[in-house]
Amino acid sequence: MTPAAFLSDHTFVMVTAGTTVIGGVAGALGSFAYLRRQSLVSDVISHAALPGTLLAFLLLTALGRDGRTMLGLLIGATVTGTVAVIAANAITRHSRVAIDTAMALVLSTLFGLGMLLMQHIQRRPLPGKGDIQDYLFGNASTITRADLTVSLAVGTLTVGVVAVFWKEFAVATFDRDLAGLLGFHHRILDPLIFGAIAVATVIGLKAVGLVLMVAFVVTPPAAARQWTRTLPGMVIVSALIGAGASALGAYLSIVLGPVPTGPVIVLVLFLVFIVSLLLSPRSIVLAAYRRRRSPALP
Amino acid sequence: MIPAAEVRGLSVSYQGRPVLRDATMTVPAGVVMGVVGPNGSGKSTLLKAMLGLVTPSAGEARFFGSALPRVRQRVGYMPQHTAVDWDFPTTVGDVVLMGTYGRLGWLRRPGRTERDTAARAMESTGIGDLAGRQIGQLSGGQRQRVFLARTLAQQPDLFVMDEPFQGVDAVSQQAIVDVLHRLRREGRTVILVHHDLGTVTTYCDHVTLLGAGRVISSGGVDKHFTDSHIAAAYGLAR
Repeated sequence: MTPAAFLSDHTFVMVTAGTTVIGGVAGALGSFAYLRRQSLVSDVISHAALPGTLLAFLLLTALGRDGRTMLGLLIGATVTGTVAVIAANAITRHSRVAIDTAMALVLSTLFGLGMLLMQHIQRRPLPGKGDIQDYLFGNASTITRADLTVSLAVGTLTVGVVAVFWKEFAVATFDRDLAGLLGFHHRILDPLIFGAIAVATVIGLKAVGLVLMVAFVVTPPAAARQWTRTLPGMVIVSALIGAGASALGAYLSIVLGPVPTGPVIVLVLFLVFIVSLLLSPRSIVLAAYRRRRSPALP
Repeated sequence: MIPAAEVRGLSVSYQGRPVLRDATMTVPAGVVMGVVGPNGSGKSTLLKAMLGLVTPSAGEARFFGSALPRVRQRVGYMPQHTAVDWDFPTTVGDVVLMGTYGRLGWLRRPGRTERDTAARAMESTGIGDLAGRQIGQLSGGQRQRVFLARTLAQQPDLFVMDEPFQGVDAVSQQAIVDVLHRLRREGRTVILVHHDLGTVTTYCDHVTLLGAGRVISSGGVDKHFTDSHIAAAYGLAR
């Protein structure tokens, strides 16, 4: 397919632009989850987002609105996603339960609740419930121009929050105790950081699905960390990797297929990660190779 | 004169197990107070509970006559160097600059004043030449000096230091000692957890001896750093 033919197809452009925005925002915000050693928060958020989106769907439908508008979906998902992460952290802080266990507990419970809600919705004659199971595995070809606009606006807003609170996010991520002592209260910063990560996760629900979204949040920072030495550098490179891999993956999924877009992007991201591990300045493989080439002096 | 720090009946339990019981001490302004005791006697916990980093089950700490939130900028804390992830993508200069963020407050960006403050703090701990260095490439002693410089950059009146000499080389030790002496000359107050009984009287003029989570004795080293008190703290008393 020629680039001109690709660009003249509305669906192709929507798929590529939509996933690029998702990849960029998730990559940028994923850096903070990675550096807090809580990469799996995105998995908690995406699973916990299911009941949130479905509750938003039910509420909007009851009010006589379109239950699947992107903004409603995002708000519902962000609320339950953020609450889930804060709950997992609170469980750990006030008990002997470790964070991985607390995350798994919250994730599976809220996901179970989501599955029950989904069953409930599918049994009722509600308008627009047709593709509701797309939230599980995603469907990039359903991205509309309105979805893209909302994703762009919400993504820009989220990155803007990071830029405005940069200094506070940096100190809280590096040294949580210091942040608190300097007067940057956890009760303000935690919801802001986790809320931003939640937004970055849930904007991909419709296109990528909750199962694979974790890869968009986890893989770009893991790859970017291999190449970068500063926090701004890492966030920017991670965003570029997320956006670039998503654009490439979306393009490949169309010209090679059609095959599902989300899974192809996840594979491209994994390739970028492997290449980063092997070839970056921090690579242990390269270091070992260099050592063998130039043996230490006796 | 209002003491720099006052601790009254501070108690802390971890998972129902008491690790600090009814700790009381007064730190007069301008002294170097050594917090001394065997491993697990509650030294770090005392510091963290004073600063609200762990939640006490009873008691309170006041700084310069006020609760901590009212005098945050006057109190600087230097944690143990194991407190953070040293693989974090950042440089020595950026970590030290974080010390100035408290005075800046929310949303204001560090400018020339803050950078100058951080640069001076690095110079005085002998790490001025490391400003651009990745923190992951530092030795144990250099890490301690980064934390000390960060605390200096806060420009506090009271320095709370958790084992500043832990795992440091001779050069770093001397650099930290020089800073301690300077702070003392300037009339600042220092509370430091200290391990080496042999040098307590060299660095400290007050001491708080802890044993098994209790304050055994607290006050001037001449009266309170005695053989019998030390024996009691270390469980050697008959």
